[in-house]
Amino acid sequence: MPWYLYLALKQLFPTGRRFPFFTAISILGVSLGVAVLIISSSVMGGFGHKIREMTVDTQGDVQVRGDGLIADPAAVQAQLMKIPGVLATTPFAEGAVMVIFNLKPQFPGMQGIDVNHITNVIPLQQYVHGGALAALDDDSIILGSQLAISLGARVGDTVEVYTPLAFEKLKMSKGDEVLLPRQLRVVGYFEFGHQALDGSVALVPLRAMQNLYGLGRAVHGINLKIAPGLDADAMADRINAALPASLHLRARSWIEINQDFLFVLQFERNMMFFLLMFIVVVAAFSVTSSLLISVVRKTREIGLLGALGAKPRQVAACFCFQGFFIGVCGTMVGLGLGFGVLHFRDDIVHVFTKLTQSEAALLRFYQFSHLPAYTDPAYLVATIIGSIGISTLAGLLPAWRAAKLKPVEALRSE
Amino acid sequence: MSEPILSARRLSKSYVSGDRRIEVLCGVDLEIAAGESVSIRGESGSGKSTLLNLLSGLDSPDGGELAWAGASVHVDARAKFLGMVFQSFYLIPEIDALANVLMAARMIGAPGAVERARAKELIARVGLAERATHLPAQLSGGERQRVAVARALMNSPKLILADEPTGNLDERTGDAVIELLLGLCRDTATALALVTHNASHAAKTRRQLMLTAGSLA
Ligand SMILES: Nc1ncnc2c1ncn2[C@@H]1O[C@H](COP(=O)(O)OP(=O)(O)OP(=O)(O)O)[C@@H](O)[C@H]1O
Ligand SMILES: [Mg+2]
Repeated sequence: MPWYLYLALKQLFPTGRRFPFFTAISILGVSLGVAVLIISSSVMGGFGHKIREMTVDTQGDVQVRGDGLIADPAAVQAQLMKIPGVLATTPFAEGAVMVIFNLKPQFPGMQGIDVNHITNVIPLQQYVHGGALAALDDDSIILGSQLAISLGARVGDTVEVYTPLAFEKLKMSKGDEVLLPRQLRVVGYFEFGHQALDGSVALVPLRAMQNLYGLGRAVHGINLKIAPGLDADAMADRINAALPASLHLRARSWIEINQDFLFVLQFERNMMFFLLMFIVVVAAFSVTSSLLISVVRKTREIGLLGALGAKPRQVAACFCFQGFFIGVCGTMVGLGLGFGVLHFRDDIVHVFTKLTQSEAALLRFYQFSHLPAYTDPAYLVATIIGSIGISTLAGLLPAWRAAKLKPVEALRSE
Repeated sequence: MSEPILSARRLSKSYVSGDRRIEVLCGVDLEIAAGESVSIRGESGSGKSTLLNLLSGLDSPDGGELAWAGASVHVDARAKFLGMVFQSFYLIPEIDALANVLMAARMIGAPGAVERARAKELIARVGLAERATHLPAQLSGGERQRVAVARALMNSPKLILADEPTGNLDERTGDAVIELLLGLCRDTATALALVTHNASHAAKTRRQLMLTAGSLA
């Protein structure tokens, strides 16, 4: 080992000292930063994953829509199924309705789904509670959980549904006709854990929706499932190439449909990462200041090293290496700490909510009993490189100061 | 006489402080033969330390020539050519006495078994065999200076430059350190340039010089 590395280690871990205080505190500073970075980016990554999963679960991988309605969905579906990589298709129709229960109106979007085939594309049954997807027939409805709460409707209750078509008929008949709502029985709730969906969507069979909106056999779009492992964007491009232009259809991947939202998600995560990196930067400043103090305190020894034959850049390496070493140790301890916390995250959340008696609130607002976590390798690498790099930079200023000392002057200093 | 291991010719050095210029050395000639011991005395402020710094290559002269063993002065050669002892001992506080002695060897390359054995032997020669694993803070002034002497000898240098090595020691301890230094240099045929205020210490060297008015006599 070159002398400057030896001396750097000895300055960090002096002989005969059990607990090197300065070193321990410097390492702790960096490791706290690293731990916070790992924990927060993993938990945010976990949420991101959940949200992506949920998005695919509600929309399918790829969605095909036309300029207006798709008049003959069965023919389009048959064409789509011929494209390699397409595993399943399911048509849907959608539109706004007014739902009334006990004189309380709500205005959800209504989705007409193909009850028999939708589960090939979207694992909807997983999200249905208090009933079953299979129970959905032409006289029944499944409400989003928040929508059901807003209405005060429970499974077994009957809600009234008005569509624009009904009002149109009323207008055309100039008051001769009586406006009768469609009566639908609630046969279940669905809960995706997403406010926008759970609070403002209701499900009915496709046929019922087509009747309510007077669509005939037409639909608004078709959701597709693609083979696992295929890139949704590439698949959408392939589908667009395969569909004849005369149909005026366009396939878009879930990534494209949600690009704004996904961008915000990613942006948020990067921003968070960037800001939390400042914890490491602050820790690095404290490393810099303690190394600077050490350079000043050791001025005469640095002079002596010169007398022994040390070159300025070796002296610099000695101090720079101390920063690097603190960075490496701090990063390793921080990773241990971070992954430790992540491993016991549910217990920690549990204890925390017990202490603050907020368990019920947590469940109600976040609909999770366990915290998701996903450690993106890219963030992991960025954390490791970032914290070691910043710590090494922290050693640079002291190193430069030390290298600049002239042995003669250093030896003279009092 | 054999080739001198150190030869200085017309070395000069001046310091500028403010608008004043202090001529500290003006034309110092000095040759030191292998194994020779030389003492340099002079009033405080006469430039003895300045001269040693020039001879060690830590500082560069304004004029004149300096050669180490016939070659020009170079940083890379210092660790092997020179050992230095100072008034303050300058031991590294984080490592024990033996490791401080070995530090000189580390400057040249990673120490092996040979170097370790030599360091142990030197520690024993300066009478600190029992204290080898003690940290500098656990040693007395005289003991620390003896460690510094052992460190200066570690790489078997051709020349030792000692700048008032007894300045911080009481008389008896100082005498002992000088005896040790002279004895070791004699035994190992190492040349010694000793700066001292003490006439009796100076008397023990083969050649006694005085630094006055910027030159040696
Ligand atoms: N860096 C410097 N800047 C300005 N003047 C200096 C500097 N170094 C030394 N001097 C001056 O040079 C002169 C010689 O100093 P030096 O330390 O060589 O004396 P010395 O003979 O070793 O004295 P002492 O016996 O007290 O150690 C002094 O007058 C000192 O003030
Ligand atoms: Mg002096």
